[in-house]
Amino acid sequence: MGSFEFEGRSVTFRPGDTVASALYRHGVRTFSRSLKYHRRRGLYCGTGDCPNCSMTVDGQPAVRTCTVRCAEGMRVERAGGWPNAERDLLHVTDRLHRVMPVGFYYKTFVRPRFAWAVAERVIRRAAGLGALPPTASAARKVVRHVHVDTLVIGAGLAGLEATREAAASGSVLVCDEGLAARSVAPGSAPDPIEELRTAVASLEHVTLLDEATALGVYEWLHVPLARAGELVHVYPSRVVVATGATEEHGVFPGNDLPGVMLGRAAAALAGPHGVRPGDRAVVVVRTEEGVQHLQTLIDAGVEVVATAVSPALVQRVPEGAGEIVAGGDVHEARGGSSLRSVVLRREGLGKRFECDLLVLSLGLVPRDGLARMALPGEDVTVVGDAALGVGIAEPGGLDGMVCMCEDVSMHDLEQAWDEGFRNAEILKRYTTTTMGPCQGAMCGRALSCFAASRDATPAPSPVAPRTTARPPARPVTLETLAAGVHEIVDRRTSLNELHVAAGARLDRSGGWLRPFSYGDWREEYRAVRERVSLMDVGTLGKFAIAGPGAGDLVDRLFPCRIDDLEPGRTRYVLTLDDAGYAMDDGLLARVGAEEWFLTTTSGGAGRADARLRNLADRLGLDAHVLDRTAQWGAINVAGPLARDLLERLADDSIDAASVPYPGFADLSVAGVPCRAIRTGFVGELAFELHHPRRRGPELWAALADAGRDWDLMPHGLDALELLRLEKGHVYIGQDTMPDDTPAKLGMPWAVDMSKRWFVGKRALERMGELPMARRHVGLEFSGGPRATADLRGEPLLVEGQVVGRITSAERSIVLDRPIGLGWIRAVDGGFPDRLRTGSGATASVVTTPFYDPDGGRMRG
Amino acid sequence: MAELRTDLPQVLAILGSSDVCDRVEAPAGSALLRVAPNEAMLVGTDDADGVRADVPGAALVEAVSDAWTSFVLEGPDASEAFARVSELLLPEAGWLQGDVAAAAAKVLVEAGTITILVPANLAAHVEERIRADAAEVLTR
Amino acid sequence: MALSIPCDLCGHRPFTEFAFGGEWRELDASDTEEEFAREYLPDNPEGPQRERWFHAMGCRTWTTVTRDTRTNEIG
Repeated sequence: MGSFEFEGRSVTFRPGDTVASALYRHGVRTFSRSLKYHRRRGLYCGTGDCPNCSMTVDGQPAVRTCTVRCAEGMRVERAGGWPNAERDLLHVTDRLHRVMPVGFYYKTFVRPRFAWAVAERVIRRAAGLGALPPTASAARKVVRHVHVDTLVIGAGLAGLEATREAAASGSVLVCDEGLAARSVAPGSAPDPIEELRTAVASLEHVTLLDEATALGVYEWLHVPLARAGELVHVYPSRVVVATGATEEHGVFPGNDLPGVMLGRAAAALAGPHGVRPGDRAVVVVRTEEGVQHLQTLIDAGVEVVATAVSPALVQRVPEGAGEIVAGGDVHEARGGSSLRSVVLRREGLGKRFECDLLVLSLGLVPRDGLARMALPGEDVTVVGDAALGVGIAEPGGLDGMVCMCEDVSMHDLEQAWDEGFRNAEILKRYTTTTMGPCQGAMCGRALSCFAASRDATPAPSPVAPRTTARPPARPVTLETLAAGVHEIVDRRTSLNELHVAAGARLDRSGGWLRPFSYGDWREEYRAVRERVSLMDVGTLGKFAIAGPGAGDLVDRLFPCRIDDLEPGRTRYVLTLDDAGYAMDDGLLARVGAEEWFLTTTSGGAGRADARLRNLADRLGLDAHVLDRTAQWGAINVAGPLARDLLERLADDSIDAASVPYPGFADLSVAGVPCRAIRTGFVGELAFELHHPRRRGPELWAALADAGRDWDLMPHGLDALELLRLEKGHVYIGQDTMPDDTPAKLGMPWAVDMSKRWFVGKRALERMGELPMARRHVGLEFSGGPRATADLRGEPLLVEGQVVGRITSAERSIVLDRPIGLGWIRAVDGGFPDRLRTGSGATASVVTTPFYDPDGGRMRG
Repeated sequence: MAELRTDLPQVLAILGSSDVCDRVEAPAGSALLRVAPNEAMLVGTDDADGVRADVPGAALVEAVSDAWTSFVLEGPDASEAFARVSELLLPEAGWLQGDVAAAAAKVLVEAGTITILVPANLAAHVEERIRADAAEVLTR
Repeated sequence: MALSIPCDLCGHRPFTEFAFGGEWRELDASDTEEEFAREYLPDNPEGPQRERWFHAMGCRTWTTVTRDTRTNEIG
């Protein structure tokens, strides 16, 4: 016993009650309002298949209340309806059925153009199954990966039998949604399923997962199971689908009135829940279990006034079943807010019966959606009722709701057929039948039978063709699907803690977590230009390339001349793709006769590794790649005092001859073995110190300490942005387009076309015959905004026509004027040198670099 | 329950032709992982000079310990904790490589202990993932 | 058929462990006409396709397979 809250009222429940049964006992008959026409909907299937009993439970919308056990203190409310589900003024849309036919939104609100914008807002508010909770749930969903020999979906009789059989030869996971209703008539004791379940669960290698919903059967095989607090990914070698069958949905006028329900729903209420589903009932019996449902109703004291029964079962009808109509059908159900009478028909004659309950046991339809998701060749079998065949039957009456989830009636299907949608798949897409929460469990058969019966060509098989089944098999929240999916993976250097301790602003860049600034990036900039500064460049891609074929590999991968690179020397290299486009840049160092060292941009490291290996493999070269990206850290010591700083700490000489430009030397700094590479990225004297990752913090601390009296401070990516811009360096990806050749980038010197072959050479030859249509340029601005950086991304125009774009822009501190980089298209065979920006400033094309143009400072 | 421990492993990389890699033997106390046709890894030793002498013809023999961080899962629920961060099917004993917490990892299994080697630059991320996703089965 | 890629060293692995290298292409072409076709006009067959995959999450080696683009069957 207990109570929960329902729309401000307190509702008591008994042990074993579902929310639906407790509400029914409380007197609730309208459980929801339909999606489109706001029609009243009452309890119908009782097995969690149809959408009718869906309500918002504890803030969670679209919960099927016939499957949820009551809990003390629950909060339940109906969704839809305005102002509420009981007195819904929006029900007027049902009268507008004629002007809102199926697919009306494709045909109306077309002119004037603003009409749809307005109408859409109204329609969105009027339709829907409830509001999403405004906050995320506190509990985090866990993910588990489980490997097993056999997965059995469904723990009814057939599923448990299959489990027992499979357990003899391997591990078994059997899962079940754990819903309230059973296919066995309630009350018949002892329950064979309970006994079998206990026996099977105790077998070795058998795991029973309750309240687990299989979302689909995916390739590999892979079946995700959604549970309350977790998502379980199951990887079985074989799957057995034992999900049973639903009772057939009856289609006739008035079939969705509250008071019309399927046999199992009525029997569950009358039997185990002890609630009379109605006072006067008409019952339709066409299945074995229908006979049992009828008995249950009679035993519960329901007055059965008439029973329409198939001729084969006439003899089985018990006493107290009212007027027996053998071979009878439902012609129509009538009522206002709920059922008031039913017309049964037989051989063209009809008879009306006053009643408040119509119980339908028309047949069984296999719940085999999961099985139909399997691909040919996958080991997925179906057992039990889920394996029932479904023959073609005459589609229901003249009218009636076919798809209760989406409010699609027989009339709508007829109209769609008339409009030319002439098979089940297209009818499904146009009318949205089977696309609701039931995913065709209720309406799929009616749709297929409708299409089959209207089809002029005779069907080759007597089985109604089903529309394609796709995951998810049941509605699932995004929160569940996101379980185990985490934020972007961030790489970190070994200096990360130091940056945090120094108060740096860290953010993502190229797959790494990097310091953008330690306070005032302009101060950091000045430290680089005027004194000395450190930067963590441990994110750079770093590769050792070794072996007899290493020289060949780098010679063919890079477009520039390689064979004249001496040990101890470095060269700037562009990486081109097959089509001749620049993908990455970096530095290549010759270490020895058969050993090279390559650095790449931070974001390009992964691809560089793959590219090196691919080319070595394709060319059959005896060349080997060691990825040192994680193994080594790197610290850039930059500024006019860089050498002075290193002299204080280096055990070896670092004069211009020992560590030449462009070149490197392996030496020891503060006792840490380093490869010191001369770089020119920022236009100052700079040494990139590559070192063992674990000794990074030690090296950084030693450098910072030794530079204290020069007011050394580190610099981050913000300062670097301007430093490299003043030097005219492009950022691959920021300043470059995916189809930039070296020529377009103004770097023809990075290519040696006299080489026999390199990746992209043939493409460059081909493009060399074409006029250059676009090029990269340096820019200076006047009349621009106060914050030059705002110009970044603006278009460049000539006589009002867009001919280019600004890709980088910032006010140069050392030159005290606004500068930038961008690209421009050729206009009338030439490239303009004066343009206007989108915001009205003037842009002039200038040569780069802006700062240290002859390279004297970096070569120092 | 299971325990998670972080370790800085000793790792050696040997790069060379297939034949050369076939000849690599694991010194006592270390495990040999043939991670690629032309690459072998020794976990538990960083004696590059010693191995280089034993494997003439290798293109590169180098101690690469700095590139790796290892996470060790011990206890009866070690494989349960692992199953929270990877869909790999572990052997009773042996090793394999694949996706663990979105990192390209090598996994060694021996006597109920699972050792996961991940690139050092992803160590912080992987540790966060294991501690968060396997929280239920890890001891504090 | 399940989309798993057979890696020579690691055996059959889910495709999510790999980076896709595209349809097999010759490394070079004899003239610029052929070069254009090689680069921009792949066969893109509805059927068996020879293609490259990189085992990024595992051994980081490249492998060539023939996959039927209609059924994902390999071999």
